[in-house]
Amino acid sequence: MNIVEIENLTYSYPAASEPTLKNISLQIPQGDFLAVVGNNGCGKSTLCKVLNGLIPHFITGSFSGSVKVGGLDTVHTDVGTLARKVGYVYQDFENQIVRPTVLDDASYACLNYAIPDYAARGLEALSLCGLQEKKSDYIWQLSGGQTHLLALAGAVALRPDILILDEPIAQLDPRHADHIYEILRELNEKHGKTIIVIEHHTDYIANYCKNVLLLKDGSFAWQLPTQEALQRVEELQACNIFPPQITLAAYRMKQAGLLSPHAPLPTTIETGKKIFDKLAYAGTQTRPQAESSDEEDIIARFHSVFASYKTIHGKDGHIFEGLDLEIKRGDKIAVIGSNGAGKTTLMKLMIGLMKPSWGNITIFGGNIRRQKGTNGAKQEAFSEDSSQTIFPDKVAVPYWSPEELSRMISLVYQNPEEMFIQDSIQADIAYAMKMRGVADYENRTAELLERFRLTELKERDGRLLSGGQMRRASLAIGIALHPEILLLDEPTANLDIATRKEIMRTLNDIKHITKTVIIATHDMQLVCEWAQRIVVLCRGKVIADGTRDEIFGNAAVIAQAGIRPPEIFSMGRALHQRALCYTVDEFLENFAEVQNEQ
Amino acid sequence: MSSDIKKKFSEKLSENIMDKMSIDFLRTQVLKNAYGNKDTVIAGLDPRILLVWYLFFGLIPWFSHDIIFLLGCFILVTITTMLARVAGLVLLLFVLGVFSQTGYLLIVILLFGGDASAFLPLLTLSLKISTVSLASITVFSGLDPDQLANGLMWFGFPERLSFSISYAYRILPVLLQEFQNILLSYRMRGNPPSRKTFAGNLKYLIYQVKVIMHAFYPLMLNTAKRSRTTVEALELKGYRYAAVNKEVKKIRLSALRLTNNDLLFPALSFMWVAVTLLISSLL
Amino acid sequence: MQQINNYTAAQPQKLMIFVLTMSMYGLATLFSELIPSFQVGIVEFSVEYFLFIPLTLAMLFDPISVALGAATGELVFSEIMLGQFGGLGELEKFITVTIGVYIAGRLVSNPSNRKLVGFAAMAGTVLQLLMGTIVDILKVQFAVEDFEAVAGLPQSVFATEGFAFLNDVLFSGILFCLLPALYLVPKLYGKIEPLLGMQPRTKDTWLDAVNVKVILGSLVGFAAAIAAEMLAESGFELIDWEAGWAESGTAFAIGMIVAAAVILVIILILRTNTSKKAG
Repeated sequence: MNIVEIENLTYSYPAASEPTLKNISLQIPQGDFLAVVGNNGCGKSTLCKVLNGLIPHFITGSFSGSVKVGGLDTVHTDVGTLARKVGYVYQDFENQIVRPTVLDDASYACLNYAIPDYAARGLEALSLCGLQEKKSDYIWQLSGGQTHLLALAGAVALRPDILILDEPIAQLDPRHADHIYEILRELNEKHGKTIIVIEHHTDYIANYCKNVLLLKDGSFAWQLPTQEALQRVEELQACNIFPPQITLAAYRMKQAGLLSPHAPLPTTIETGKKIFDKLAYAGTQTRPQAESSDEEDIIARFHSVFASYKTIHGKDGHIFEGLDLEIKRGDKIAVIGSNGAGKTTLMKLMIGLMKPSWGNITIFGGNIRRQKGTNGAKQEAFSEDSSQTIFPDKVAVPYWSPEELSRMISLVYQNPEEMFIQDSIQADIAYAMKMRGVADYENRTAELLERFRLTELKERDGRLLSGGQMRRASLAIGIALHPEILLLDEPTANLDIATRKEIMRTLNDIKHITKTVIIATHDMQLVCEWAQRIVVLCRGKVIADGTRDEIFGNAAVIAQAGIRPPEIFSMGRALHQRALCYTVDEFLENFAEVQNEQ
Repeated sequence: MSSDIKKKFSEKLSENIMDKMSIDFLRTQVLKNAYGNKDTVIAGLDPRILLVWYLFFGLIPWFSHDIIFLLGCFILVTITTMLARVAGLVLLLFVLGVFSQTGYLLIVILLFGGDASAFLPLLTLSLKISTVSLASITVFSGLDPDQLANGLMWFGFPERLSFSISYAYRILPVLLQEFQNILLSYRMRGNPPSRKTFAGNLKYLIYQVKVIMHAFYPLMLNTAKRSRTTVEALELKGYRYAAVNKEVKKIRLSALRLTNNDLLFPALSFMWVAVTLLISSLL
Repeated sequence: MQQINNYTAAQPQKLMIFVLTMSMYGLATLFSELIPSFQVGIVEFSVEYFLFIPLTLAMLFDPISVALGAATGELVFSEIMLGQFGGLGELEKFITVTIGVYIAGRLVSNPSNRKLVGFAAMAGTVLQLLMGTIVDILKVQFAVEDFEAVAGLPQSVFATEGFAFLNDVLFSGILFCLLPALYLVPKLYGKIEPLLGMQPRTKDTWLDAVNVKVILGSLVGFAAAIAAEMLAESGFELIDWEAGWAESGTAFAIGMIVAAAVILVIILILRTNTSKKAG
């Protein structure tokens, strides 16, 4: 039985010159777990909003064709009725949570639809999403992953037949991402819900989804079982969708004649083991990582730092408990750890936005905290100010005000929109240089625009750009002042894989401009390809600090911190215990030969 | 010596808005005020009773010129405010508020050639303002916002107001976070005037005010983006459906129940008022 | 085959505007509530520093949604959250802000006309301040017994309020309302609307130019505002008179005791009832 039937659907947003959805006809069977893929702006979200009736009831535009959901024609059914058939979790899910407490929000929709046992329904939904423990918590106490689960619970509470999730794991670490997908699988298998996800993480599609639907520029391309869909490597790549690394590796081996041209491409580690089992581990050492910093000059030091945040009940929540860390000039550090491990806090401490509750942080030999109880520190601040120097060796132990710190350290936020304070990206990039009186700031702005390929867009407001453009613009803003240290918070979050690759290129590019760069990220491919040094945070401490071989080769650390190496690494490991290959290229180099059959 | 004072003053001035009033502090105080005192006597009371109680103590003092009665009311609301355990920031604002309304008036009266006879009316005025403010602090800070929203709804206030109250507490931490990040952008990239001299400090203050105002440009755009998802989600969650449905209101308000405490509280309050009135008429 | 064109969804868009304005102006008033240190000498700079926010939005979007959103935002964020709720006084603020913002928004038929934007921003501000000043003076008059008799009081109230009004109009009105509105309206115009999924006002969707109807409408609105204020004030007087009577004797006190006694009796009855049920 088909739960969704779409016929000849064409839709254009108001005042759009071209339709966003073009003559789409498709069916989705009851109980499906469907991944919708396609390049940016191909109409994935629009299609999903058609299913829950927001289009055409809420969002205006021109709509033609017929859409039936659970037998109801969406044009003749009001949004309220449809909402009880179709649950929707937005990509910016935190904005769909409107009540201050967890249970209140989960049961809000049921209450609004006058369902008498609304609270019980909310509780039921919370327990389905593994949040029953948190039911009396306030929203601001939840982590990102929990907030997402709550958004899901809010949708589940109405007991819809269909659940739609728009990029459910874009901001999550692997452990939380697995958790979400496990819950979705349970909802699908045990509770018979039809699940539709917009997803570009093909490794998750391979592991969880039953079918894949490809949209190409607003048109229906195909709808195939996952295994079959992921075989179409070239077609997917043409749409900027990157098949799982394992599939890609097998595809390239096939082209190189290592694998039989008729063999199906593996999509998961399990299937990979069978396909690759003929390959011998060459044992060539992985390429040495880009040479690590040879300078021994320590420019930032955390000494037994404690940091905490205030809660409304007067009890402090602890983030760091005795953190020690030294950063050398020229370091390219990736800071990893699960959500809430303190990656962002580390950066906030470095730019002086947060003060440690205990311990010392010195940056270029200066304190970032005013020494308590002495007026001397204050005096020093003033005298330091007058000398207008940022060279640490001239003053004994100076105190850096946040303004002074900002001349040495630059932070690029996770959410680039918060970096745009002017009305065009050109003005934004120029702003800091103009304010600080950099002589030829106009030329330098033009140079930066060119380097980040933004010249065409320079008059546009940053917020109205695409995800990748926004991110590039925020990087340009971050390095405009040539900071000594550049901090990047999740530079690849929320990007599709093609854009992510582009940002990775950009990051490699700017290695020459800014010597010391620290990135906080969940993106292990970025970590493996970029970082020279990896710092693992867990429960307020640094639990590991070293090269990628030292970190990913250490199973205990990986388990403790809840991180996961790139899938190709795990694949290599599954084939050979000592294999350390971080990229598809390295995998191909290491497993380049067929075992001698004996 | 005078330069010392000047310096001290300028230091104080420069630590103004952004330094002392950290946004984190503000957030904690507001949320603490709203949800940190759930276990108090006041928070346990029925919101409808408290609103009626407030109507009395928020209005009656304006019409009385009886010092003893006013003093009695003032003592009562002071006690209830203490019972409600409100956040320090709210109390500070209360004190500043009362002073700004009467304190400066006193100075001006003296300037215009007034004499000691002006003190009594001003004392009365201060008492009235304090009583009314404290009564409102007791009710509006002592109550859980959701309870308050329900109470207001019971009295027939528009549903939109109840929604706004709950939503405001939900969105406040998000807005503050975003605002903080935008301000940080200005700080990291701006170039504030040096604060060495008094004039420099004044410039710095003006700079800060300007930055706060400018920050609303990106904030408005970012919030607009958010609001779109929020309102779509509200539509899906049946918000507009509920707003016109009496059944929903009934279900929502069915949680409101009167207990003995709810009656005891106004009874004791009115008894106390009666006693002060009696004393006042006997004297 | 279905064809739906030009489906108008005005209601949700109004809600969006309401939510946006409420959050923005609410947050702003939360801050302005925290800046009392701007009181320099006798002059209280406590105007609506951030009135430019709803003024700007009212010129771009549906003015009445913005006006109500702004007033609600202030009520919720700065009055209720910070416990500064002042009872009826807030009602007055609610009305004056709503009217000031609404009229300013209504005056602007074309957001790209800078002169009009400037004029509307000032008009809205002056209107709001003027109404506020009138109410402030009346408030002190009612609150203080024998207002006229206290030496120096009437003069000082009129002087401070009048001075504050002029100061607010000239200083805050220009610095905090006119200039920011002139800066923001052209910047946001055409940019913020798509973020909300709306069309910017174009030639076809501009509000009607200021014609006789709008002027008349504004005047009626203004008159209604004054009337509402006067009504609220006379209501004050009415209760004042009654309370005055109650105060004169011990009747009020006795009434109170009776009321308290009745409530106590009800409690006792309820208690016995519940214990019976429990038993």
